[in-house]
Amino acid sequence: MSQDQTDTAQSFDDLIIIIAQNKDRSAFIQLFEQVSPRLKAYAMRCGASATDAEEVVQEALLTVWRKAHTFNPKTASAITWLYTIVRNKRIDLVRKERPDLITSDDLWPETYTDNEHLENEVESDLNVNIVRTLLHGLPETQRQIVYKVYFEGKPHSEIANELDLPLGTIKSRLRLAMKKLDTLAKEQMTWLIIILLTNF
Amino acid sequence: MANYHPSDELLMQFSAGQMPNALGIMVACHLETCHHCNRRIKVYEQLGGEIMQDTAPVEVGSNVLSELLLKLDKPETEESSAQKPYASVDPRIPRPLSRFVPSYFDQLEWSGMSRSIKEFELPISDTQYSAKLYKISAGKELPVHTHKGNEFTLVMDGSFSDKAGDYHQGDFILADTQTVHQPKAADNADCICFAVLDAPLKMTGFFGRMLNPFLS
Repeated sequence: MSQDQTDTAQSFDDLIIIIAQNKDRSAFIQLFEQVSPRLKAYAMRCGASATDAEEVVQEALLTVWRKAHTFNPKTASAITWLYTIVRNKRIDLVRKERPDLITSDDLWPETYTDNEHLENEVESDLNVNIVRTLLHGLPETQRQIVYKVYFEGKPHSEIANELDLPLGTIKSRLRLAMKKLDTLAKEQMTWLIIILLTNF
Repeated sequence: MANYHPSDELLMQFSAGQMPNALGIMVACHLETCHHCNRRIKVYEQLGGEIMQDTAPVEVGSNVLSELLLKLDKPETEESSAQKPYASVDPRIPRPLSRFVPSYFDQLEWSGMSRSIKEFELPISDTQYSAKLYKISAGKELPVHTHKGNEFTLVMDGSFSDKAGDYHQGDFILADTQTVHQPKAADNADCICFAVLDAPLKMTGFFGRMLNPFLS
């Protein structure tokens, strides 16, 4: 694993841990400066207005401050942890005025969002590197569709219309991208073992 | 341990936070006990993190940080800290669904379609999906049928089988317009399932329009 690739993730990790241990405001401000523009961008790409996106950012970072002690670098990288928080805040913003609707807590109850049984199986740094390499290695046409799933959540038929492509093409491109990820999910253990063995 | 799982596509949509409705609840219920799918979800969440990392940053107003710093020392408001009142319900009901099922399965007001199958409407239907519980009496077989759209089923208690397989607690099954089947509950117990169906595309009548103002 090359050092330059892990630097950013590493420093997010450190900041969150310092926040958890010392309630350190300067670490919090540093983390805010580094991540908030991306959290805002994510919310906006998902369809939030700039104002709503800033509310999502505030809510998400407030959760980071309060829940920093639940961050476990062994089960998720910092960016993944931040992603799950901002994703949930984005869902809940829409639901604020509709208490009858499902909340992120219904979908991801805390009892198993911070479960520990994955701890021994997932080496987050390693995974992040593989996922990143894989995402960047996807052909542009496949990556575009994966992005649409994450940001827009549109049905395939709608994506097909937008891109002016047959529905079958959309489905097969997504299937190809997923197949690569699936292989990854299955192989991560093998890779982990190989790397551990070679380091040993 | 479940043998039938949501497709990768559904798991990806779920991880993307793009499935916040009845089908999302169903996937969440499956995940509660499915180790296999939980691992996949972790990969898709990492993918989400990477995608967020790749997004071109957007400048955040300077007031956001200053407002936030003021909030740090305030105690959590009730709204954010209060756990939802989860009724002490049937242990067979997975937690993501428990808020929507008022009592033990046996005490629900099941409404009968026939003696062999009864249903209970869940209050999480929307314009995209309708959701219900249904119960097939032990040893009973449903008439052969097909589906107008997609029907997702999660087995909650007991088991049932059709030509394609046997389904037990936690199994997540998709039947679509191609599926022709005749589910039969196991002889030893009633089978209770959580079902999510594609809602009709267009709802008519006053109530329908009220629920779905975008369709005129």
